[in-house]
Amino acid sequence: MPLECLLCLSSSAPELPILERRNWLIHLHYIRKDYETCKAMIKEQLQETQGMCEYAIYVQALILRLEGQIQPSLELFQSCAILNPTSPDNLKQVARSLFLLGKHKAAIEVYHEAGKLNEKDWEINHNLGVCYSFIKDFHNVKQLNAALQLKKHDRTFMTLGKVHLLAGDTDKAIEVYKSAVEFSPENAELLTTLGLLYLQLEKYQKAFEHLGNALTYDPNNYKAILAAGSMMQTHGDFDVAMNKYRVAACMVPESPPLWNNIGMCFFGKKKYVAVIALTNLEDVDNARRSYEQAVALDQSNPLVNLNFAILLYNHGDKKGALQQYQEMERKVNILKDSNTEFDPELMDMAQKMAAALQVGESLEWTKPVKDPKSKQRSAGAPSKAPGSSQQPLGTNQALEQAMSSAAGYNKSITLPTGVSPHSQPTPPSLPLEEEPDVETTPTSRAPQPEESDPSTTLPPLAAKPKVKKNKLKQELN
Amino acid sequence: MSSVSQMKENSETSKWLDAHYDPVANLYTFSSCIALADLHGDGENKLVVGDLGTGSCNMKLKVYRGTGLMSENTLLDLPTGLVSFLMDQHEPRTPAIAVASGPFIYVYKNLRPYFKFTLPPLEVNALEQDVWNQAREDMIDPLSLKEMLEGIRDKADVPLSVRSLRFLMLDPQDTEAFVNLHKAQPIRRQTVITCIGTLKKNMADEDAVSCLVIGTESKDVYILDPEAFTILSKMSLPSPPTQMDVTGQFDVEFRITVACRNGNIYILRRDSPKPKYCIELSSHPVGLVRMGKSVVVGCAQETLQGFTQKGKKLWTACLPAPVTTMGVMDLPTRGFQAVLVGLANCEVHLYRDKNLISTIKTPDVVTSICFGRYGREDGTLIMTTKGGGLIVKILKRTAVFDDRDSAPGPPLAQSIRLNIPKKTKLYVDQTMRERENAVAMHRAFQMDLSRLRLAAARAYVKALESSLTPMSSSLSEPLKMNAVVQGLGPSFKLTLNIQNTAACRPVMNLAISFLYDESLYSMKTAFFKVTFLLIHHISHFLFIRLFVRDNAAHIITYIIITVSHNNMCRCVA
Repeated sequence: MPLECLLCLSSSAPELPILERRNWLIHLHYIRKDYETCKAMIKEQLQETQGMCEYAIYVQALILRLEGQIQPSLELFQSCAILNPTSPDNLKQVARSLFLLGKHKAAIEVYHEAGKLNEKDWEINHNLGVCYSFIKDFHNVKQLNAALQLKKHDRTFMTLGKVHLLAGDTDKAIEVYKSAVEFSPENAELLTTLGLLYLQLEKYQKAFEHLGNALTYDPNNYKAILAAGSMMQTHGDFDVAMNKYRVAACMVPESPPLWNNIGMCFFGKKKYVAVIALTNLEDVDNARRSYEQAVALDQSNPLVNLNFAILLYNHGDKKGALQQYQEMERKVNILKDSNTEFDPELMDMAQKMAAALQVGESLEWTKPVKDPKSKQRSAGAPSKAPGSSQQPLGTNQALEQAMSSAAGYNKSITLPTGVSPHSQPTPPSLPLEEEPDVETTPTSRAPQPEESDPSTTLPPLAAKPKVKKNKLKQELN
Repeated sequence: MSSVSQMKENSETSKWLDAHYDPVANLYTFSSCIALADLHGDGENKLVVGDLGTGSCNMKLKVYRGTGLMSENTLLDLPTGLVSFLMDQHEPRTPAIAVASGPFIYVYKNLRPYFKFTLPPLEVNALEQDVWNQAREDMIDPLSLKEMLEGIRDKADVPLSVRSLRFLMLDPQDTEAFVNLHKAQPIRRQTVITCIGTLKKNMADEDAVSCLVIGTESKDVYILDPEAFTILSKMSLPSPPTQMDVTGQFDVEFRITVACRNGNIYILRRDSPKPKYCIELSSHPVGLVRMGKSVVVGCAQETLQGFTQKGKKLWTACLPAPVTTMGVMDLPTRGFQAVLVGLANCEVHLYRDKNLISTIKTPDVVTSICFGRYGREDGTLIMTTKGGGLIVKILKRTAVFDDRDSAPGPPLAQSIRLNIPKKTKLYVDQTMRERENAVAMHRAFQMDLSRLRLAAARAYVKALESSLTPMSSSLSEPLKMNAVVQGLGPSFKLTLNIQNTAACRPVMNLAISFLYDESLYSMKTAFFKVTFLLIHHISHFLFIRLFVRDNAAHIITYIIITVSHNNMCRCVA
C-alpha cells in the first residue's frame, strides 16, 4: 500500500492555484442566500485568480441581478461568456439580463445562439416564448410548446396560458391550464387561474371546484379566496364567505375589491342602514334621464324597462309607459329562449303593470313611494355608470348616500371609489339572469382583482332598497 | 391561544434534552463535513468535524468527545466533505476518516494521517502541450506563444490549463519571466472534489467495507476501491455535483442521487456511465436526503419536495423560511425515520413525508445537522450554527412523534375579527337626517349644481371676452398668444408672445397682420411672416415698434394667418 506524506512537496516553480477550487463553497453560500459571505468569498477568489474564475464572476452577476443591478450583471455575464464561449449557461444568463432590461429582441438573438449550443433545453425554449410574447409575436410563441415537449414545467404552462389569453383565445388557454393541472394537481396558482377562467365563462360548478381545490392546497391564496368568496355570496353563504375574506384581509389589507365584497356581505346580511333611490327623491326629470341612460346601456335586462314604465305611469305618461312595457316584453321573450329563471316579484309586478296599462285609468298605480323600492332595484345600478357627468347626477347622490351608509360598516370603502364611475365609461355588467340581486354582480367582477376597478363592483349597492323604518332604527341603535 | 402554544412548546422541549450548547465553539462547517464515528473501537462514538476556520486559513479537523474537544489536526486546505468508513477487514474494526479537500482525499486512521489520494489529472489539450514544448526548447518567443494560446483558447474542445490562462492574463513585460519559470514543468490540469460519499462494497451490513464516492468539479463521479484507492468506476454528469446520496452495494446494485450546480438532480445507477433519470427543479436544491425509497429535496425557493427513486414528483410542502441545511433522522431501534430541515428563521423542522411532525427552536440559524449515535447515546442531534455554536440535543426515550400533520388546518387569520370601525353618533345622526330630509337635500344639491354650472359658464365667457390668454380656435394650429405693450409713449413696444402647444408638431407658414386706425397709430411693419417653426413649449417673442399720435386708447387687432385658417385675436392697447 502506498504511503505518502500528507504535505505537498513544493517544486521549484510555485504551484498555480486551481481556478475552480472554491466554486463549491461559493455555490453553497449562494444557494443558502448568504449573499454577504458569498460576495466576500468571490472577491477573495477573484483576487487570487486575477479575475479568471468564471464561476465566481457568474455568481457575482447573479447576486447583482438579484439586487436589481441588471446592467452591471449583464456586463459580468458577458465577460463570463468571453471566458467560456462554449457554455450555453453563460449565454442564457446574458439573454436573461437583456430580457430584464427590456431588450427583448436582443435577448431572443442571444437565446437562439444559446440554443445552438444546447438544443434540448426547455429553459431556452421557454424563455424564447416569453420574449416573443412580450413583443407580441404570438406566431413564434409556439416555442413554449416546444419547451413543454422537452420537459413539462408549471411555469411554461402558465406563460402559454397567458399568451393564449392575450391573443383572446380563451378555449385554448383553458386547454393549456387543464393539462397543466393534470400535470401538477397541487399547484394552487394554476388551479386558481383555471377557476377564474371558468368563472368568466360562467361555468360556475367547475370554477368553484377548481377554486376550492386551490384553497385546499394554499388556504392563503388571495385570488382564490376572493373569487370563491364572491361565489359563496351569490349563493347567500355570507358567513362562510366572510370567514374566507378574513384570511384575505390579513394577507392583502388594502385591496378595494376585497373590502367591497366584505361590504356586500354585510349588505347581504341586511345590515345596511338606508338606500335611497332616485324616485323617492321626487326628482322626475333626472329619474327619467337616468332610466333612459340605463336602457341604453343595458340592452338585455327587462327590469330596467319595467321600472321605467312604472315611473312613467306614475307620472301620467301612459304612452311612454306602454312603450317601455312592450320593450320589456320583448326582452323577456328573448331571455325565455335562454331559459333563465325569472324573479317571481318581477313577474308579479309585470302583471300588475300590464293590468294597469290595459285596463286603463281605473286601476291607479298607488303607493309610488313605498313600492318603488323593489322596482328600483336594478334601475339605480346601471344609471350611475355613464361617462357623462351631467345626466345621472341625481343618481349619484343616491349612490353616495348608499355608499356612505356602507362606509359605516367599513371605512375602507371611501367615497372616491364610489364616485369614480364617472371616469369609468364601461357599463357595469349586470348578470343576464333575472336575479339582479346585489350579490351577483360582484361575482362576475371580483374575480379580476388585477383590474383594480372597484367601481364596477359597486353598482348594486344602490339597488335593493328594502328597508323598513323600524328595522333601520334597530340597526342604528 | 397563548396557553395552547405554550403547551405545544412544552411538548416540543420535552422531546429533547439539551445536552450541550457552546455558543462560542468557533465552528464554521456544513453538514457534509460532520460525521459521527467510533474512532477508537471502544464503543463510544466521537464527533468529527471538518472546520473551515476563517474560510481561508486555520482549517482544522476537530474531534469532540462528550462535551469537550478531544483533538485537533491542521488541514492544508478547505475541507469539502468528510466521511467515516471502514476500509478493510482488519481487527479491531475502527473506521477511517476521509477528508476531501481540493484535489485530494486525506485518509486518517486513529486520527493519524494514513494516505493521500490525488484525483487523476484531466486531459491536457494536445495543441497546448505542443506549444509549450516548443517554448521549452526556446523555439518560439513569448509573444507568438501568447498568440497561439489565444487561438487555441477560442476554439478548443479541451480547455487550457491554469498556466496558459494565467500566462494570457500577464502584462507583456512579465511574460518572459513567467515562461522561464514554468516551462520546465509538465502541464497539468487538475480539478477539485466537490462532494464525497460512501458506498458499501459487497455487503449491506453495518460494519461492511465501503468504497468512497467522489464528485468533482470536472462533472465526474468516481468510485474508489477502499483498499487500493484505485478508480473502480467513473461516471459523468452534465454539471458539477454539489451533494450526493448513495445507496446500495457496489458489487450488486447501487444508486447515486446527485444534486448538481445547474439546479437539477441526476440519478446514476450501476452499469450506466450517464445519469439514468433527471429531476429538473425550479430552484436550486439546498439539501438532499433519502428516506427509504423516496428522495427529499429542500429547495432554495422555500419548498420541500419529495420524489420517487425514478425522479417522479410525489409531494411538495411549503416552508416558512429558506432552507439552510438538511439531515436525516434515523432511529432503527424504533423504526422511526424523518427528515430534519434547518431553516433560516432559527428553527429546525422535522418532516415525515410532507407532514410537519415537530419543530425545534434554536438560538441561531443552523448550518449543519447530524443525527446519530454520539458517545453511547443513540438518538443524538448535533447541530452547528452560523455564529459558530455547537448544539447537542438528546432525544428523550419517552418522546413520541404523532404522525398527524401538525401543520395548521384553516389559517389563523380566519378567526381574527375584522377591524371595522364603530359607527359614531355623528354618523348615525347624519344618516337619520339624510333619510328624513332626503328630498330637500337632493333639491338643494341640484340647485347648487345649477349655480355652479352658471358660475363656471360666466367665468368662461368673461375670459373669452377679455382676451386674457387668447388661444387658437383650430386644432391644426394649436397656438397660444399673448400681447404686452411696454413703454410710456408716445412710442411703445408691442411684444407678441407666440407659443405652439402641440406636443411634437411644428407649425409653419404663419403670418401676422395688425389692424389699427392709421390716423392714431403708426407701425413700421403691419404685416409680416413668422419665418421660423414653432416648437412645443418654446415661446417666441416678437418686438414691434409702435407710435401713437393720439393719447386715446384704441384697439389694435392682430391676426395670425396660416395658409388655410386665420385666427383672430384682439388685443387692447
